[in-house]
Amino acid sequence: MADRKRILVIDDARLVRSFYRSILEKEGYEIDEALNGLEALEKLLAVPVDLLIVDINMPKMDGFTFLRTLRGGEAPISVIPALMTSTEAKDSDKDNARAAGANFYMVKPIRADALIEYVNLLAGRRA
Amino acid sequence: MGDREPPSISEDEFARLCDFFYRRTGMIFTEAKRYYIERRVFERMLVTGSATFAQYFARVRMDLDREIEEIVNALTVNETYFYREDHQFHCLTTDLLRLRVAQKAPGETIRIWSVPCSTGEESYSIAMWLLENWPEVDKHDIEILGSDIDTRALAAAREGVYGARALSRLTPDLIERYFEKVGEETWQAAQELRESVAFSPVNLIVNAETRAQGVFDVIFCRNVLIYFNDESRRVAAENLFESLKPGGFICLGHTESMSRISPLFEVRRYADAIVYQKPLEARRG
Amino acid sequence: MPLIRRDSPGASPPRPEGDTIAQLSDANPDTRWKAARVLGKHADAVPALATALQVETSSQVREAIFTSLLLIRSDASARAAAEFVRSEDAALRSGALDALAAMPEVVERILPGLLQDPDSDVRILSCDLARTMPGEVATRLLSGLLQAEAEPNVCGAAVEVLAEVGTAEAIAPLRACKARFPGEAFLGFAIDDAIERAGAGRLDMNG
Repeated sequence: MADRKRILVIDDARLVRSFYRSILEKEGYEIDEALNGLEALEKLLAVPVDLLIVDINMPKMDGFTFLRTLRGGEAPISVIPALMTSTEAKDSDKDNARAAGANFYMVKPIRADALIEYVNLLAGRRA
Repeated sequence: MGDREPPSISEDEFARLCDFFYRRTGMIFTEAKRYYIERRVFERMLVTGSATFAQYFARVRMDLDREIEEIVNALTVNETYFYREDHQFHCLTTDLLRLRVAQKAPGETIRIWSVPCSTGEESYSIAMWLLENWPEVDKHDIEILGSDIDTRALAAAREGVYGARALSRLTPDLIERYFEKVGEETWQAAQELRESVAFSPVNLIVNAETRAQGVFDVIFCRNVLIYFNDESRRVAAENLFESLKPGGFICLGHTESMSRISPLFEVRRYADAIVYQKPLEARRG
Repeated sequence: MPLIRRDSPGASPPRPEGDTIAQLSDANPDTRWKAARVLGKHADAVPALATALQVETSSQVREAIFTSLLLIRSDASARAAAEFVRSEDAALRSGALDALAAMPEVVERILPGLLQDPDSDVRILSCDLARTMPGEVATRLLSGLLQAEAEPNVCGAAVEVLAEVGTAEAIAPLRACKARFPGEAFLGFAIDDAIERAGAGRLDMNG
C-alpha cells in the first residue's frame, strides 16, 4: 500500500485552505498549509510534499516570487509540481504562471471535481 | 471572584483567537492547549475589564495598550537561562561559523550579536559554548556583543550574578569552571567569561543605535520581535538586515518565523535549526 | 551619504532631501536602500518614493520604500501605496498591501473607495484591509459590499474577513449573499463558516 501523498496548500485565505482540505482529504491526501510564500519555503525545508497548490496574491511573498525562488533552489523541493490558482483569467497570467514554474493554472472559484482531477494528475495518482 | 471557574469560551471564539495568532505569529494552538489558553484569556479579561470575549478579542486585534504583548507573554514560556534553545548554538558551531569563515578574509574578526541580551545569559552562553564546542575557537578573533534597551538589565549582565534557575541547564562541571559561588544560591560568571562579552544599550527600532554597533556574522534575536507591532517589526528587521554582513545569519526564537516579520532574509535549514540569511548580493526583484 | 549632523544646538540642519531623493535612483542598491530608509521621515518625499517604486528592481529596496510610506502614515502615502494594489506586478501588490495593512487608521478613509473600484481584483485585495478595522466598521463595509457585489471571488474575500472579525450584524447579509449565488460551492462553504463564527459568543463575565 503506497504512502499517502502530501499536498501543501499555500493561500492566505483560511477558508480557501479549509475548502481544499475538505475535498482532498476525502480523496486520501495529507494536507499541509501555509499562508504566504515565506512560510511555504520554510515548511518545505522541513517536510517535502508531492504537490503544491499555490495562490498568487499573498502577504510578504506572492506566489510568483515563491515559485521562482523554489525553482531556483535545490532539489528535491525545487521540482515539486505546482498547481497555481488565481482570480484572474487573463492569458498573460497563465503565461506568467508558466514562466514562474507552475505546471498548471486554475482560475478561482475552483470546482471540486476539477480540483480532484488535476490534483490526481499532478500528484501522480493517475496517468 | 478569585475562586470562580472561568466560563468556557465557545469553540468558534477559541477558533477566532487561534486563527488570529496563526496569522500574526505563525504559532498554532491546538485543542490540547485549550484549557491553558482559556485560563490565560480569562485572566486578561479580568485585568482589562472586558465583559465579553468579543470585547477582549477586539482589544487584542487593535493591540490596545499593548495587549498582544500581554497575551503572548501569558501564553509562552519566557524564562531566560543559560543554554536556552541550545540547538541553535549547536548549529552555530556545526554549520554557521564554518560557512562564515569560508566567506571571510583570513584574520577577519568574527562578530556575534545577542540582542536583546537581557541579563546576559544568552551572551555568556554563546561564549561558553564556543569555548566548549568549537575546535577552531583559538584560531579566530571573536567578538561577542550583548545589547538591550533596558540599562538595568545591562548592568546586571555586566555584573554576571545568577541564581540556580538560570544555571539549571548547565552541568556541574561547567558551573565549576565558568562560575564562582558568591552566595548561598548565587554564582558569578568568572572574570574571564565576563571579559569576553561587551554590553551596550540599543533600541532595535532606532537605526542610529543599531548602526553604531557595526556589522555582524551571526545575530541572535530571540523572542523579542514577536511582541512588536507591524511597523516596528519591519523597522527592526531592516535594522537587523543592515547589521548583518552579506551572507550573515540571524536566529529567531523557537516560536518565531520571518514569514510573519520580513521578506528580506532567505530561510536556510541545517541539521539543528532553521536560520535566516542575508543574501550575499542584492536580490533582483 | 550620511545626513549632515548639527554642529551647534539651535542651528537647523540643512534639509538633505534633494540629494537623498537623487540617491533613490543611484546605480548602487545599497545607496538606494539607505536613501529609501531616510525618506521615511520626510512626508513630502511621497511622490519620489512612489516614482522610485515603479522602476526599482531590488526586492529589498522596494521593501524599504514601502516601509517609508508606512512610516509617513499620511493620506498621501496611503494613496500612493494603494495605487500599487492594481499593479501588474504581484510583488508590488503584496508590498503595497503589507504596508497598508499596518496603517489602518489612514486606510479606513480610503477603503470605501477601494471596495467600489471598477477592477474586481482591486476589490478582492482591498477586502483584506478591512481585517485591520474594528469589527463594527469591517462588518458595515463588507456587508454593504455583499449586498451589491456580482463577482463571487470578491464576495469570497469579504466572507473570509467577516469570518474573522464580523459581528452578529453580518449574519443576515451573509445569508442573503448565499441565496444570491446558489451554484457557488466554495462561497456557500465559506458563508456557512462565517455565519457560525459571527454568531458565536458565549463568554460573558456578567453571566
